[in-house]
Amino acid sequence: MKRRNILAKLVLVAVGLFYVLPMISMARFAFQRVPVALLGWNNLFDRWTIRPLFTMMGNPIFQEAAFLSVRLAVLSAMLTLIILVPTVVYVHVSMMRARALVEVISVLPFVVPAIALVVGISGAFRELAPWFIRSDYSLVPFYVIIALPYTFRSIDNGLSSIDVKTLVDASRSLGASWTRTMWSVIVPNIRVSVVTASFLTMTVVLGEFTIASLLLKETLPLILAQSQGQDPQGSFAVGLVLLIMTASLLGLANRFSRRRNITQPVAML
Amino acid sequence: MDYCESMKKHTSRVRVLRGFAVFAAAGLLISACGSGDSSSDTSGSDTTAAATDTSCPDAALIDAANAEGQVNLIALPDNWANYGGILQSFRDKYPGIKNPVANPDASSADELTAVETLKGQPDMPDALDVSPAISQEVDTKGLWEPYKPCGWDEIPDVMKDADGKWVAAYYGIMAIGTNTTIVSDAPDSFAALKDPKYKGLVSLNGDPREAGAAFAAVMAASIANGGSFDDILPGIKYFAELKKLGNLAGTDVTEAGVISGETPVWLDWTYNYPGLEPKLIENGITWAIRVPTDGVYGGFYAQGGVVGSPNPNAAKLWINHIISDEGALGFLKGGAIPARFDALVAAGKVSEEQMINLPAPELIAGITFPTPAQIKAAKEILAAQWGPLVADQ
Amino acid sequence: MSITNTHSSRGPSSRRSPREFFSSLRGWLPVAPFVGFVTVFLLMPAAVVFQKAFVRVDEPTAPMIEAITGQYRKSFIFSMQLSAITAVLGVVFGTMVAASIVRLGHRRGLRNAMTGYSAVAANLGGIPLAFAFLAALGMQGLLTKILKTSGIDLVGMGFRISNFWGIVVVYLYFQIPLMTLVMLPAIDGLKVTWREAAANLGAGDRQYWRLVALPLLLPSLIAGFLLLFANAFAAYATAYALSSGSSKLVPVQIRFFLQGDTITGKTNLGYALAAWMVIIMTVSMTGFLLLRRRAERWRR
Repeated sequence: MKRRNILAKLVLVAVGLFYVLPMISMARFAFQRVPVALLGWNNLFDRWTIRPLFTMMGNPIFQEAAFLSVRLAVLSAMLTLIILVPTVVYVHVSMMRARALVEVISVLPFVVPAIALVVGISGAFRELAPWFIRSDYSLVPFYVIIALPYTFRSIDNGLSSIDVKTLVDASRSLGASWTRTMWSVIVPNIRVSVVTASFLTMTVVLGEFTIASLLLKETLPLILAQSQGQDPQGSFAVGLVLLIMTASLLGLANRFSRRRNITQPVAML
Repeated sequence: MDYCESMKKHTSRVRVLRGFAVFAAAGLLISACGSGDSSSDTSGSDTTAAATDTSCPDAALIDAANAEGQVNLIALPDNWANYGGILQSFRDKYPGIKNPVANPDASSADELTAVETLKGQPDMPDALDVSPAISQEVDTKGLWEPYKPCGWDEIPDVMKDADGKWVAAYYGIMAIGTNTTIVSDAPDSFAALKDPKYKGLVSLNGDPREAGAAFAAVMAASIANGGSFDDILPGIKYFAELKKLGNLAGTDVTEAGVISGETPVWLDWTYNYPGLEPKLIENGITWAIRVPTDGVYGGFYAQGGVVGSPNPNAAKLWINHIISDEGALGFLKGGAIPARFDALVAAGKVSEEQMINLPAPELIAGITFPTPAQIKAAKEILAAQWGPLVADQ
Repeated sequence: MSITNTHSSRGPSSRRSPREFFSSLRGWLPVAPFVGFVTVFLLMPAAVVFQKAFVRVDEPTAPMIEAITGQYRKSFIFSMQLSAITAVLGVVFGTMVAASIVRLGHRRGLRNAMTGYSAVAANLGGIPLAFAFLAALGMQGLLTKILKTSGIDLVGMGFRISNFWGIVVVYLYFQIPLMTLVMLPAIDGLKVTWREAAANLGAGDRQYWRLVALPLLLPSLIAGFLLLFANAFAAYATAYALSSGSSKLVPVQIRFFLQGDTITGKTNLGYALAAWMVIIMTVSMTGFLLLRRRAERWRR
């Protein structure tokens, strides 16, 4: 037993290092104005500056892009929940046969890679609905689609682990309407899934580049990519901050679990 | 369509509501045109040159552009040939007109896509700056809005379209940049790049099958190795050899890579280096730029207005600006050679220090450009051969 | 019996009258908005790609055929090789990580931290990731320098992050977390009771893994492989940043035709390449789904 514990710890330490070391290297590049070639013990602590971070964040273009991305993230999360939760609840409650279909559909975004999707979007919407493409918010449905495989999993898992039918039966037989049931009975029970799905959608929004670039919307990832040419250190500095923020948010999402049974946390995939 | 013709056509497009003043101004200019080519007067005396500049673009165009209030631009990075400075000088000259730049890092192909995607919408690009290859495509699709800016006659024939569809406001030369902090010995020729001491250190700015700058590097290498505008194969073989020697690194050249020293020797247009300077100095890096002695290759980008764009007059004003003296001097500062360079030098408008970022005059004098047909043929060979000969090895 | 079970009111042996048929059809109605949403925003663009892939504009061969011949065939093979290798390695390491997390499951914070970071890392890619590795292990990398001062000269040994194996290492950065996320629920599902039962029947450690755990996990493992394969196949920004000019990957080739400055007029070939990509991914994901359902049989 003990030996296996040690093995597990070793594996996690090794993987942890693998994850963390490249990020540390990038952080050093972003915050220290000394090229590696000239780096030595004597100037190890020289020329460190957080200035790139503030220069980037103080830039009004960056701020606008950040606000846009936040708006898009919130809207995408909301749209995801509005579309997914009723559908998946309905499937679990009334129509289990449809679950296979819905699951297949939820995986379709993996099948169409972003680069193919992008050309398809241009071709499909350019002629049919140019007014749609004009709006900044046209990105929202595409973000929902991209996040779909992950968000469906999350909501589906959450609903699978509670007895939806009984809950709904009980609630309905006590006289609650469907809306009341959803809002006051089901959703609180799948709180973790809902929160996780929202955060997952937001992660996607904060990282998506290809479609925003095609539709010429100035989102945060786009601005970050562009500023790699102007100010790479600032761009990477902000990128790192975003990374840490999103990872923390997602890690915290699991903390909301009321479940005492620690071997059954809500899986994200 | 010569300049006077276009003026008349412009007049007819102006709304009647504009009023009498416009017709009066147009009439003045048309009579000026009737008395001989306005631009040929400039070579006579300096003061006439200045006079031509202020009377052209004429007040009607400026008024119309001001009424539009904005020119939608795309794919103009601040550090590319000092576009940052040129955008600013435009704003200084015409304070009523905004010039937002969408997607500064877009490729030329992205620009064309944007034009098609945003057709008829208020944020459709009004003017483009694209590679010669894409410029052909824009032409084929009939998207160039023909317009001959002021100073048209001072632009060499190869750098403009005969019908006024596009004009090349600047050009550059393919050069080798070296991060001398890491590599003390800056190579100055394609032959020198094969030296074993540059193992794993040489990079191209992108993939030649996709990026104009990398494509130009292959053409330059071709000239250095016995090829010509018609024969790009020696260039492809050169890079195949460079890769076999292990000198050609795969890493894409980015500002981050240059600063970190990951790509210490790289090939790019002369006008892309000055923009890096502030960051390099900040990080304590020294550098050197050399035009390869065995392969001098110049390349330009084409600019023009777009058919059916929301702000056509502002677009014309912008094109005028980049061809004008202010625009030209802005390009000089960025290390690019402006289209009307010869005329400006002859008129004594370029000082020594303004030429500091440029390659030597003898080099500039000797530059010729491939024709569109030659570029097209070269691209096809590249598309077929780069993969098997270079990428797959 | 329950008010939610509207379809079992008749016995199984009865024939379905038209009214029942329509009412069962009506049962699918609430799912329609979801299906419609995905159709408009995903299937329609995909259909456009296929439509344009079959358009031929005075080319000697149809784009769909040309896309899998000659150098493009090599590109597909190379893309699949890279994807397969990173998928296999991702499966191995990702499963090890998932198993380790479950093993140390009593530490709640650890699990949250790992899953949180895994979810983010799985979506990471492109230039930031490529540059992070360049900053660490490139020619001027921080770690390269540290290792060199300790006597290990990576550059001298011929290690380059832009080589095939360098790119594999970088891809693993998002493949391992993805596999971790896939395997966590599967390993969770290995009930402790089964282990105890096996022990009761006299099975040792090795036998348990070989005869009980592995067969149970196998569908998830293969499903994970297919998912990772598809994931790697579609990725290109990372590889491009690391080895532009030498790129043989299919998504990069699509970029050349559809978004590049040099090659013009070959957009149909670009669409054809994209169409073939979609076909390969469909096969891959179908396998993933089928295996997933099998795996879940034991989880419920």
